[in-house]
Amino acid sequence: MHRVKKLLLALFIVFLAIQFIQPARNNSGQVALSEISECIHVPDNVLAVIKNSCCDCHSNNTRYPWYSFIQPGGWWMASHIKKGKKNLNFDEFGNYSIVKQKSKLQSIANSINDGTMPIPSYLLLHNAAHLSKEDKKLIIDWANTNLDSLTNKN
Amino acid sequence: MKKIVLGVAMLTTFFAACNGASSSTSEAKTSADSSTTKTSMAPAATEVTKSTVSIKGILDTYLKMKNAFAHDKDKDAANAGKDLIIELDKIDKASLGAEQAKTYSDIKDDAKEHADHIATNAGNIKHQREHFDMLSKDIYQLVKTFGAGQNLYYDHCPMYNNNKGADWISETKEINNPYLGKAMPTCGSMKEELK
Repeated sequence: MHRVKKLLLALFIVFLAIQFIQPARNNSGQVALSEISECIHVPDNVLAVIKNSCCDCHSNNTRYPWYSFIQPGGWWMASHIKKGKKNLNFDEFGNYSIVKQKSKLQSIANSINDGTMPIPSYLLLHNAAHLSKEDKKLIIDWANTNLDSLTNKN
Repeated sequence: MKKIVLGVAMLTTFFAACNGASSSTSEAKTSADSSTTKTSMAPAATEVTKSTVSIKGILDTYLKMKNAFAHDKDKDAANAGKDLIIELDKIDKASLGAEQAKTYSDIKDDAKEHADHIATNAGNIKHQREHFDMLSKDIYQLVKTFGAGQNLYYDHCPMYNNNKGADWISETKEINNPYLGKAMPTCGSMKEELK
């Protein structure tokens, strides 16, 4: 019993210690852009959906929930955000090559259509980020329209 | 109480493992980034317009992937994805003019992402094919820029992706549909001959 207590105490100390290792926050303070690139405009209704359901992981601004301040929750989230931004960052979209912009628009339509985005573990904790049928159609149509116009331009 | 603490310990290990995995991917990304930067900083040599670069290695690997998809072979496609990343990196940008180097590096960056998704998604052929669709556009651009060096055909499948359609490049005149695979192997038509 004595041993078990010691072990528990040790684990508790580890838990306390890791609280001091806080990952850097993903907050640039920028305002989400309605012109994500020179040729792509994001209408207000589309922007609202993207901000609400995508930008926590796919932009330079995350709205952090309370549990993100408790480790290892915050680390987990930081790794998600890193991966999300690597794959698609709306704040960097204008810097992508046209080839990449086209791929990203198509990937947006694909992943929404397949239901792979927003990821289920995110939706579990962010109920408001669920996309309705109308939301999905809105985003997919927006992505496809801009994909077509980029394709025709080049 | 014991259970809670144990739970926390297990979670810690789990999350630490997750973090480890993601940081290794981001390292790979960083190295890819730095190679791109090098390209864009290459000296601007405008005098070279015709390329002497052969994209045969890239095309061969792409065609191998295409044939894997035509036979619904997700694992073979994934292996071709790995090889394609290597082939894409083999092109010597020093032999390209400034404009071609830029075109190549834009296409390469994008194609590598698709190849990576295909390489890491064996078991999810639907997702692999989504990236194959986009990859095919990149490869078509490469052929248009650098020449095929062989007879190739640009084929179209009208039914894929809810009738949105998709294209692919083939080495044979006969249709071997990589999007619908064995379900509809001969669906599609040739829309352009490439040389």
